[in-house]
Amino acid sequence: MSNSRTVILFWQLAILAVVLVVWQWGFEWSRALLPKAYVPKILDPYFVAKPSLIWQSFLRLGCFADATGFTACIKGSDNNLWLATLVTLKNTWWGFLFGSASGIAAGLVLGRSDFLSRVFSPYIVAFNSIPRIALVPLVILIFGLGDLSKIATAWLVVFFVVFFNTFEGTRAVDRDQIAAARLLGASEFTVLRTVVIPSALAWVFASLLPAVSFALIGVIVGEFIGAERGLGKLIIEAEARANASEMMVAIFVMMIVGILLAVAVRALQSYLLRWQPQFEHSS
Amino acid sequence: MIVAPSQGLALARDEDRAAAARTRITVQGLAKRFNASGREFVAVDDVSFEVKQGEFVALLGPSGCGKSTILNMVAGLLPRSGGRILIDGDAVETGEVNPRVGYVFQRDTLFPWRTVEQNIGYGLEIAAVPKSERAARVATAVEKAGLAGFAQSFPRMLSGGMRQRVALMRTLILEPEILLMDEPFGALDTHTKLEMHKTLLEIWERERQTVLFVTHDLGEALTLASRIILLSARPGRLKEDFDVAIPRPRDPVAVRETAEFARLYSHIWHSLGEEFRRTRAD
Repeated sequence: MSNSRTVILFWQLAILAVVLVVWQWGFEWSRALLPKAYVPKILDPYFVAKPSLIWQSFLRLGCFADATGFTACIKGSDNNLWLATLVTLKNTWWGFLFGSASGIAAGLVLGRSDFLSRVFSPYIVAFNSIPRIALVPLVILIFGLGDLSKIATAWLVVFFVVFFNTFEGTRAVDRDQIAAARLLGASEFTVLRTVVIPSALAWVFASLLPAVSFALIGVIVGEFIGAERGLGKLIIEAEARANASEMMVAIFVMMIVGILLAVAVRALQSYLLRWQPQFEHSS
Repeated sequence: MIVAPSQGLALARDEDRAAAARTRITVQGLAKRFNASGREFVAVDDVSFEVKQGEFVALLGPSGCGKSTILNMVAGLLPRSGGRILIDGDAVETGEVNPRVGYVFQRDTLFPWRTVEQNIGYGLEIAAVPKSERAARVATAVEKAGLAGFAQSFPRMLSGGMRQRVALMRTLILEPEILLMDEPFGALDTHTKLEMHKTLLEIWERERQTVLFVTHDLGEALTLASRIILLSARPGRLKEDFDVAIPRPRDPVAVRETAEFARLYSHIWHSLGEEFRRTRAD
């Protein structure tokens, strides 16, 4: 057995090819060959579409196959694939940004203040026990069907994840490092800036990677429940028409958006944490 | 007589200097009590001593005798339970940092996210020393510590001895007149320790800071110090106070072959032995 990169790549591509082939033709073949009771319903294109249909839906939703031309199509419909992706991405980004910024700030403040952390701890525990998704209808009621409610939903999901990690990271800062900084002349604020934050950063980043996925989940769920546009809205509309291939297009686009966001966070992480052994190769 | 630390004094012999120099650290009736699970125990009991300008004083005692506790109270890192501590005649307040005092920890307290030169330059950065001056002083310190070629490395890439050298330079670059050291070489192997002694002796014999150095290693105390304060086992009390009249410059290996080293070693060894037996009897 060889673990060389080509061998691994070969198997990865082989798996992909098998999945695509079975997905595309598996249902037809099994219907032709097997008794009716044994035909796997899971492969029925009515439910899972098939690659060729997904590709056609992609071309249509993406305005590549429109009679009026690409630009006219994009301008003409207010929920084409590109606009929907842009809206979802934008809301995810802002929700993630506000959520993690406020989570980091709150985590630092409570982590550094024993008094405040003890005062707020029961409220945080109580609020954190609420399944965030249960709040989405309320958020939509408050902020309306527009982008603001999606950003708020993503914020709700992201905030606590980042907050708890920053809090723990702030608590875990080496007391002797703080003492050393103070003895070298650092003020309380300088200690925060030059010791506590860099030291807690590893903990913060450990939460940012899941947080970015959570932000996307928050936005999509918000769009499911009530939205004017976005990828989640696209899925809901396709569902109403029982159009599995359009749903699949939206799902694949979400996957790509999720990967891109994760890659961006990873890149930032391996730059900022280049002093840590596991990121050594990238320094 | 007040003389700037790094100038005329270096010419005088240790004993003359001790007699002539002013008192830098005064410890009077110092006490420290801790509460552990409802029971109070005395860590340090009525300790008094003085350290004069340019002295290298080793605070020697068995483990748990409270020597680090004393040092931390002198540094203002730990509140006292009783007594007074003066530095240059001013009372030490807990939590207040005296810019004339430098402190070196036993544990590795380098900032792992900063490179060697960023670690060494930390204090200068905080003091807002202009970038060009900072770079020049850091480069000198890197050179002096024998760390040339490692300026851009992160601490995790260095050996324990190199890391402690960086820590030493991070403190020394601020040119403290008084240096408090808490078993700074305690975690190093014998060979590295000797290297560190060499580095420290070179620096101290040139710059003559006032040093209070905590250690449980008798050989280390005799190698480095001009005076040894011996503490008893818990509770830490002052037991004996010796001058170490081994001439300078000292070599950390050759110093062990001098008659004075052997004489003091055997004397203090017996004195320490009593304390170890007392510790075990407890």
